[in-house]
Amino acid sequence: MLGLSGYEISLITSMGIAVIFALSLNLITGFCGQISLGHAAFYGIGAYSSAMLTKAGMPLAMGMIGAVVLAGAIGIVVGFASLRVRHDFLAITTMGVGFLFLGVMRQWDFVGGEMGVSGIPGSGLGKPGFMILVLGLVVVTVLFSLHLKRSWMGFSFDAIADDEDTARVIGLDVSRYKLAAFAMGTALAGLAGALYAHNVRFIDPESFGFVESITVLAMVVIGGIGSVFGVIFAAAVLSVLPLWIQFIDEYKLLLYGGLLFAMMRFSPGGLAGIAQKLSSRKAVKVPGGGSA
Amino acid sequence: MLYVELLAQGLVQGSIYALVAVGLTLVYGLLRILHVAHAGLFTLGGYIGVLVTNATGSLFLALIVSMMVVGVLGMAIYRLCYQPILDKPPYVALIASIGLFIAMEEIYRIVFGPYGISYQNPPLQSSVEILGLSLRMGEVAVGGGTLVLIGALALFSTKTRFGTVWRATVTDPDMAESFGVDIIKVRYLNFFIGSALAAVAGVMVALLNNLVEPTMGSVPSYKALAIIVLGGLGDVRGTLLAALALGVIEAFGTIYLGNYLDRDAIAFAFLILVLMVRPQGLFGRA
Amino acid sequence: MSKLLEVSNLRVQFGGVVAIDDVSFSLAAGEILGFIGPNGAGKTTMMRAVTGVVTPTTGSIRLKGEELIGHTIHQRVRRGLGFSQQLVKPFRNMTVLENVALAAGAHHTASPVSALFRIRREDQKDRAKDLLEQVGISDAAEADPSNLPLGYLKRLEVARALALDPELLILDEPLAGLNHAEAHTLADMVLDLNKAGQSIILIEHNLGEVMRICSRLVVQDNGHKIADGDPETVMSDAKVRTAYLGEVVDDAAA
Repeated sequence: MLGLSGYEISLITSMGIAVIFALSLNLITGFCGQISLGHAAFYGIGAYSSAMLTKAGMPLAMGMIGAVVLAGAIGIVVGFASLRVRHDFLAITTMGVGFLFLGVMRQWDFVGGEMGVSGIPGSGLGKPGFMILVLGLVVVTVLFSLHLKRSWMGFSFDAIADDEDTARVIGLDVSRYKLAAFAMGTALAGLAGALYAHNVRFIDPESFGFVESITVLAMVVIGGIGSVFGVIFAAAVLSVLPLWIQFIDEYKLLLYGGLLFAMMRFSPGGLAGIAQKLSSRKAVKVPGGGSA
Repeated sequence: MLYVELLAQGLVQGSIYALVAVGLTLVYGLLRILHVAHAGLFTLGGYIGVLVTNATGSLFLALIVSMMVVGVLGMAIYRLCYQPILDKPPYVALIASIGLFIAMEEIYRIVFGPYGISYQNPPLQSSVEILGLSLRMGEVAVGGGTLVLIGALALFSTKTRFGTVWRATVTDPDMAESFGVDIIKVRYLNFFIGSALAAVAGVMVALLNNLVEPTMGSVPSYKALAIIVLGGLGDVRGTLLAALALGVIEAFGTIYLGNYLDRDAIAFAFLILVLMVRPQGLFGRA
Repeated sequence: MSKLLEVSNLRVQFGGVVAIDDVSFSLAAGEILGFIGPNGAGKTTMMRAVTGVVTPTTGSIRLKGEELIGHTIHQRVRRGLGFSQQLVKPFRNMTVLENVALAAGAHHTASPVSALFRIRREDQKDRAKDLLEQVGISDAAEADPSNLPLGYLKRLEVARALALDPELLILDEPLAGLNHAEAHTLADMVLDLNKAGQSIILIEHNLGEVMRICSRLVVQDNGHKIADGDPETVMSDAKVRTAYLGEVVDDAAA
């Protein structure tokens, strides 16, 4: 089909799921400036929800809707909780949520405990059909992200990401905007998780651990915080790079770690920041001519 | 008896947490950076401890070498990694630090191998009886060592001139700078002492487990973050109390809640619970 | 009760320190009030209480008769306060024009949901252009605020506050850090705003400019109000002279 081999189809499918997952974190971290170190928990909530619902006989669509709703609902609860704590605490609170999710899943027999859930129904669309479903959802996610960035919500997120206190001074209800970001970002992570579950058809708690949270953060940061196309590019490349080049898998974490560090140390704007610097040589006129 | 044993276990674990977390909270107080790579220095401390002990047979020498090397490396991390990005938004340093930590763990794995290294003749393995409790010498050394080091730190920071300046700077860096404190010197000292304490913790954990692994810093890396938040970020006394409290709560929690939550989840459930009631941390000021 | 802002018996305490002790003052609609006092007099604390950063121990702050205490900063802004902050804080990830346009779109951003469904920014940008023109920095509209000199940023703060269409504009040391000519120009602009009907509270150190443009002064010292009235009467008051000019005399003697 489409002249693609089975291997290529599964590669493209994994890429697509990674892009949706990374864009979901980009809504929270990129657009709204809230660092989450536990985003894989919502990916996991989506995966488990859809797996359990479809195993109970529900159709795929219901599984996916369940995943989105449950992940988003828990995201709102976590959002409320994180509003209570100081700005610096947020990263740590979300990290805590990640570990709490793992801890509960490992011990909860209903969802298989350490053994996880196997025999998750496939999509019923065949591999190419599932790939097309994933790509369709990627397109929807990308369009939504681009719309959001252009809307007044995106405009307000820019202000909140830069300086919360000043955002309040121009009348923005910072808490509600943050909650909105959490709700949308976690719901979308739930969708990506559901797709993941039906793609690999076996999940266990370890698939949604701290390393996964850091990996998705790496995609957002390396792509360029807030840049939709930068994040798409980084997610696509970083998700398949280890599969393509076998020796990288051994050094995958060193690569992630090194890239995260180097990017922040030398170009906090990520790949998008580098691209922008290279393309816009147009000097901005500085009026007044004085020292800034 | 079980209670006393659990309490002792918890306090030993809490001492290790305390030694790691003190450095972290000092860095936070001074620079508002969540210095995750600190846990990588802890691991390195363990490696150096084992390597030097095996080479020379002296645990004491190993401890000193480990503290010196790791302390200097801590200063280098400040100078090369953090100083150039201090004016960027806080997430920049946080993510850089996470990246650095992951890279450090991987480097240890590649250099020292994935299975870790052990003492050839593990020191302090004999048992002693204290108050009817049978404890390993290593455990006693951890508790005692922590007490001595933290005591020394407390003396240094309250009784010496430089210590007073240091404390003032951690509490309010801007204020201290306006009083003419050489803030750069304080930062270097801060990283040296914090990192050296983490190295001690690394050597001690190596002693307790007779094993140093590349990933040995993973648990402390996130656990110590939880502790400094519980302690009220940047507050040294609060951090120490929170570290001991968490050690004890985990020890009891794994016995009584182990069927529902694992050790990490207990720690973070406690953290989240505390933050909901006291958003400024267990011992932080509002 | 035609007062626009009415602060009564306000007391602010941090631990054992009383920063504001039983201060009352008010502002009529259309007035320009200078709020002055020596360093450490508690001016900034008073303004923080009005903006909502600091919670008073007792007392009340009413805007058009409505109590502000208990409301958050953004709620107070939505009720008609506009602030220009002492430390300039432009959003550095947008242009000067966008900084002002975002504030001008306050009705679009009142709720995140409605904000998600609105895209057009042209009207707000036009309004922002007018405001930049009015404060005299329209040449910097497309500039990145990080590269601008302080004189521009101070005026950007004012333009952004004006974009909210505030009933009451509070300017916290807008002239600080500007040179003589810049301060004079900005003060003229503030006076023009007032003449156009804008109610203004001006917290300032630059006594010369305050005396020149304000119709009334409130003087605070050590957390107490020590004078309230027209500039000439206030400045000839003995208490004000010792509290305020005392410093100057000491300096001269030293």
